[in-house]
Amino acid sequence: MAVILTRDLYKTYNPDTIPVHALNGVSLSIEEGEFTAIVGPSGSGKTTLLNILGGLDSPTSGYVEVGGTDISQLSENELIDFRKNHIGFVFQSYNLIPVLTAYENVEFVMLLQGRPEKERKERTEALLAAVGLADHMDRRPSQLSGGQQQRVAVARALAPRPSFILADEPTANLDSHTSANLLDIMGKLNHEEKVTFIFSTHDSRVIERAHRVVTVEDGVIISDEGMKR
Amino acid sequence: MGLLIKIAWRNIWRSRTRSLVVLGAISLGIWALIFLLSFSRGMVYNLIDNSIRREIGHLQLEHPDFQKQRDFRFYLEDADSLGTLMFRDPHVLAVSERVVALGMVSSAKGARGVRIWGIDPDRESGVSFIAEKVVEGDFLAPARNPILMSRRLADKLGLKMRSKAVLTFQDLEGNITAGAFRITGLFDSGTTPFDEGTVMVRREDILRLTGGDGQDIAQQIVAIIDDPDSVGVVRDHLAPLFPNASLKSYAEVAPEVALYESQIGLMNMIVITIFMLALIFGIINTMLMAVLERVRELGMLMAIGMNRRRVFLMVMLETLFLGVTAMPVGIGLVIVTLRIFEQTGIDLSIFSEGMREFGMSEVVYPDPIPSIYIQVAVAVFLTAFLGAIYPAWKAIRLKPVEALTKI
Ligand SMILES: Nc1ncnc2c1ncn2[C@@H]1O[C@H](COP(=O)(O)OP(=O)(O)OP(=O)(O)O)[C@@H](O)[C@H]1O
Ligand SMILES: [Mg+2]
Repeated sequence: MAVILTRDLYKTYNPDTIPVHALNGVSLSIEEGEFTAIVGPSGSGKTTLLNILGGLDSPTSGYVEVGGTDISQLSENELIDFRKNHIGFVFQSYNLIPVLTAYENVEFVMLLQGRPEKERKERTEALLAAVGLADHMDRRPSQLSGGQQQRVAVARALAPRPSFILADEPTANLDSHTSANLLDIMGKLNHEEKVTFIFSTHDSRVIERAHRVVTVEDGVIISDEGMKR
Repeated sequence: MGLLIKIAWRNIWRSRTRSLVVLGAISLGIWALIFLLSFSRGMVYNLIDNSIRREIGHLQLEHPDFQKQRDFRFYLEDADSLGTLMFRDPHVLAVSERVVALGMVSSAKGARGVRIWGIDPDRESGVSFIAEKVVEGDFLAPARNPILMSRRLADKLGLKMRSKAVLTFQDLEGNITAGAFRITGLFDSGTTPFDEGTVMVRREDILRLTGGDGQDIAQQIVAIIDDPDSVGVVRDHLAPLFPNASLKSYAEVAPEVALYESQIGLMNMIVITIFMLALIFGIINTMLMAVLERVRELGMLMAIGMNRRRVFLMVMLETLFLGVTAMPVGIGLVIVTLRIFEQTGIDLSIFSEGMREFGMSEVVYPDPIPSIYIQVAVAVFLTAFLGAIYPAWKAIRLKPVEALTKI
């Protein structure tokens, strides 16, 4: 079953003033367990697409179904709840709550979900160990490197057991070695946790690691290739 | 909730300097507010107390017409037994029967219109503090026609101790009469109008000169009671005993006292409201800044599933924490300061000439209303609460996508 299904997505910014057609009919289906890269030149519409898939923005027209729910029908408040329970986010920056430690950041969404203490503790510790930060649990984001912060963000995104994880240019602020390391960790977790990853990137070395590469240009998908590994 | 409290509390300390400045400002505001209100209350009560201990006492019994027209002929008969009747009440601590006449004191140098008190020094010293204010000589000790006046008045008339002064006044028939007195004491009450307008002689002397020799009359019987706050109750309790006289409390005799006492609540309210207004703009400004510099973070929080209710609550909590932290600091500070000044008083002697005009002492003791702390605490809490609403509302109006892409 598809975790994400879109049909004929259009997105026009500023329709009344200077319209920008960011998406021009995107139909895409993402299956459970995929590790998919959305690529394309700057301004091609990657962020716009990911925001719509994540319920952060709504399309001008078209249909988006996430986990069997038509999210265009949800209210602003229902969307927040939906995101909390179904979608993990990794942003390019400003991912973590600065006043909370790595541990508390990972635990955060689980607390919002009201998961029991024991489960939270086990999962937080396990995930921080999986991203190689078992020794840094009590550090605040400002005491972590950029790569470490992104690893905490990946652990945080996974913790509430979402249906899939959206990462918009998660490596944009990282050097190539750190980027590779982050992608390795994401790949490993995709495999171990069977969680779907969708990420956008410019970086060819990151693209290499994707299992499927969807290329967007001028708001349309121009190629969609499965990568056999 | 615990999570929100934790985040909110830590958020305050993110911009340590700013928070400390805001905390300092609120604490200082609380301090200044309470101190000022207590000081002005102390000043007013100082004025009232001085006027009570100088002349009006807590209770005044007079002939009903003497109230309207200060005519010597409106006197109380059997004054001593009326005084004794008053004194019998357990709340009454001291009573003094006064003969009060308007007249003139003259010397070789000049003359002045004065109010003449004919008193029994022993009884009067239980009621007024004039006995303690004698700076030279004694308080009308038995002699031949002794007179006590203020040093100020004596100077104006060119008189000294043992000088002779002539008093002119009406007798009981309405005829002008005069008597020669010798100064045996000089006082300084600290209040210029009183000092310049009052002289004291022995009650029997003035009665003899006015044709009331051996009679038991007085124009005014003044009493001091144990608990000034219950003066109304004591007055109502005593009044029926004197059907032919009028018994008034100090608040009725000096209407400015009653006015002040009834307005103090309103005045405090106004001052507290002004304080709250100043505070609320400070709080809105600070919290708005705190929200606006965290736009991306708030966008991220809403993106990953923190709902609006929680975001709102978080901003509210941050604001309340600022207020709640500043409160004990400010109140603690003011309690300590007030303790000190309640002991030492505040010396205003540099302004003493001006204060003499109004009958205020040189040293004023701040006098906080016990409820002021609660009032101010509630006001600060309320202000923080109200001031938080707009920034918190601003925070939840953010759209996650826009907030996240904000530079
Ligand atoms: N909020 C907005 N208002 C107006 N135009 C926008 C807005 N966001 C994006 N656009 C425009 O929509 C188009 C697609 O932008 P988008 O951010 O989706 O591209 P992108 O592929 O993510 O680019 P990049 O690789 O630089 O991040 C661009 O032309 C962009 O200028
Ligand atoms: Mg982008």
